[in-house]
Amino acid sequence: MSIDASTVLPRLCIISSGNDPDGSGLLIRRQIELLRPSLPSLMQIREKHLDASTLFRLSLTLKAAAASKNVQIILNERADIAAAAALDGVHLRESSAPPDRLRSFTGRMLIGKSAHSAESALNAAHSGVDYLIFGPVFDTPSKRQYGNPQGLVKLGEVCRSVSIPVLAIGGITPENTPHCLSAGAYGIAALSLFSDTTRFPGLLTTFEKLLYS
Amino acid sequence: MIPSLPFLCLITDESLSPVDLAGKALEGGAAMIQLRHKYANGEQLYQWAVAIQALCRKHKAIFIVNDRVDIALAAGADGVHLGQQDLPAAAARKLLGDGRIMGISVSSPLEAFAAEKNGADYIGFGHIFPTGSKAKTNDPVGPESIENVRAAIKIPIIAIGGISAKNALLPINAGASGIAVISAVSRADDPKKAARELVELLQTNNEHRR
Repeated sequence: MSIDASTVLPRLCIISSGNDPDGSGLLIRRQIELLRPSLPSLMQIREKHLDASTLFRLSLTLKAAAASKNVQIILNERADIAAAAALDGVHLRESSAPPDRLRSFTGRMLIGKSAHSAESALNAAHSGVDYLIFGPVFDTPSKRQYGNPQGLVKLGEVCRSVSIPVLAIGGITPENTPHCLSAGAYGIAALSLFSDTTRFPGLLTTFEKLLYS
Repeated sequence: MIPSLPFLCLITDESLSPVDLAGKALEGGAAMIQLRHKYANGEQLYQWAVAIQALCRKHKAIFIVNDRVDIALAAGADGVHLGQQDLPAAAARKLLGDGRIMGISVSSPLEAFAAEKNGADYIGFGHIFPTGSKAKTNDPVGPESIENVRAAIKIPIIAIGGISAKNALLPINAGASGIAVISAVSRADDPKKAARELVELLQTNNEHRR
C-alpha cells in the first residue's frame, strides 16, 4: 500500500458521467466547484471514449480545478496518464494490468480497483491495491453490463474478507447507504446519482451526515 | 538500439492473436514488434505484452507497445509508440526515462521535427501508399516525401502504410531506416514466409548499396 488509505481515503466517490462530449470537463468542473471543504471526496474521471491526449489535458484541467478543494482526482484505468498529470490516483477496471507492476511509476498515487464478484474482490485485495469499489450492490441501468446485483449479503462477505476499504457501488441512494455501511462498506461510489447538478448540493449535505457522523 | 541496417517492423493485427503473429514475424526475421490493440482490456494487453517481450528477447528484437505507456512499463517493454492523439511526447518521456525507446507517428516534416525535439527516438512516417489497414481521410504522402523528412531530422524514419514486397524498397531508397507493415505479413497465407521475403528484400538491397 502506498499510503495508509484508510486514514485519508474519502468515503464518498463521485464518478464522472461518461458523457463528456469533447473532454472539456464542464460537468465535472461544475461538480468540483460545488464540493465542500467539510466533505472529503474522490472524483473519478471515467470517460472511456476520450483519447489519451484529451484525457491528459482534461486531467490537468481538473487537477487545477481541484487545487483548493477537499477532493482527490482519480483517473479510470490509465495509470500512465494519471502519473503524467500528477493526479491523486488511478482506478483500475476489473480486468487490468497487475497493480504491483504499476507501482514502479505511480509513486505515492492511490491505486483502486473495481470488483464485480466476491472472488474478484479477494484477488484484487491480494494484488496490492489501496481500496476496492465493489458492486453492483443494487440494480442500476449504468451497471447492468457488470452482471446481476451482488446484494448486501455479498457486500458484507467481501468487506469482512479483505483488509482494505471497500466502497459500495450500483444503485446507491441516501436511503440504502446506511445498509451498505452496516454491511461493512467504508463508503459509497455513484455516477448517475450525482449527474444532476441541481440536486448535487442537497445530496452532499445528506451524504456528509450519512458518511461522517 | 534501433537497427542501423534496413529492418522490418511488424505491427500486430487487431483481428488476430498478436502473440502468434509476432512469433511468426520474428522467425521470419522482423527486428521490431509493435503491439497495437485499441480495444483489448489492460489485463489482456499486459499478458500479450509479457509474452511478446519474451519472444523479442529470444530473437534479439525490439518490443514496442502502442499508446499504453502504463502497459509498456508494467510489462518491461523496450518502448512505446505514440500517435498524435496519445500522451504528449514530453509527458511520456518523463515516465519512460532515458532508457526506453519512444517512437512517434507523424505525417509531415513539421510533425517530424517536433517529435525529434520532444525526445522521440524514431518516427513512424506515413501513410506512404494507399492502405486498407486503417481508415484514412488524407492522401498517401508518397515515398519521395521521405526525403523531405530525412532533411528535417536526424533520428531514424520507419515508413508505414500500404508497404508490401512490391514497393518496400522505395521508402528505403528515399531514406527510411525501416518499414512497418500489418497486412503484408498478417494477411499472408504464410506470415513467417512473408516476413522473411520482406527482410531478404531489405538486406539484398543493402548489399547492392555497398
